[in-house]
Amino acid sequence: MSVDKEETHQRLKAAVHYTVGRLCQKIAEDHRREFSRQVIAAIAETAVRQCDIFAKDLEAFARHAKRSTVSTEDVKLIARRSTALSVYIQNKSEELNQDQRELKKKNTGKRKSRDTEEEESRE
Amino acid sequence: MAEKDAEIGFKKDTVSKLLTGFFKEDKTRLGGDAALLMAEMLKVFVQEAAVRSQKQAESEDCDQVDIEHFEKILPQLVSSSTKSGF
Repeated sequence: MSVDKEETHQRLKAAVHYTVGRLCQKIAEDHRREFSRQVIAAIAETAVRQCDIFAKDLEAFARHAKRSTVSTEDVKLIARRSTALSVYIQNKSEELNQDQRELKKKNTGKRKSRDTEEEESRE
Repeated sequence: MAEKDAEIGFKKDTVSKLLTGFFKEDKTRLGGDAALLMAEMLKVFVQEAAVRSQKQAESEDCDQVDIEHFEKILPQLVSSSTKSGF
């Protein structure tokens, strides 16, 4: 790894560490049991390593579908083993689609609403 | 209160850069929605690690979650051959 790349990686690791700390604090409050700093560091390190595994799998899935861009379909495959996780990720994906449809509606403004009115009148 | 909870999570940009850095080929890209979904995935991973460690500490009657509790739950967390792993 080059010096630049290494520095970026360290910064990203620090960002992950920070978020892990906040997530753990929230869970500690709920369970009334604190996490030692060592545990937070270990969870952050594990999360980064898991990202390495995820990235390689995502890349392979995208390639298998003859794409060079990783899509939400590839992410759904990553989550396939646990039923609960799979359902959760599918729902999140649906939410994202919904958000985008609403955004499109807002952006295209009047034209879009006229289109939907026409559709409705046809129905 | 619920809104405050939703704020804690990984940034799309962080996840995107982290994953892209791990790709073997330079031409591989990460879609925008895929990055958002991966941020969610990573959050679940961390929450699972934290809650399982909490439960381990609880079962041992400890009032702090220590590294040995995390060490005990780690193998199953990262196991890809069981339903309870990622």
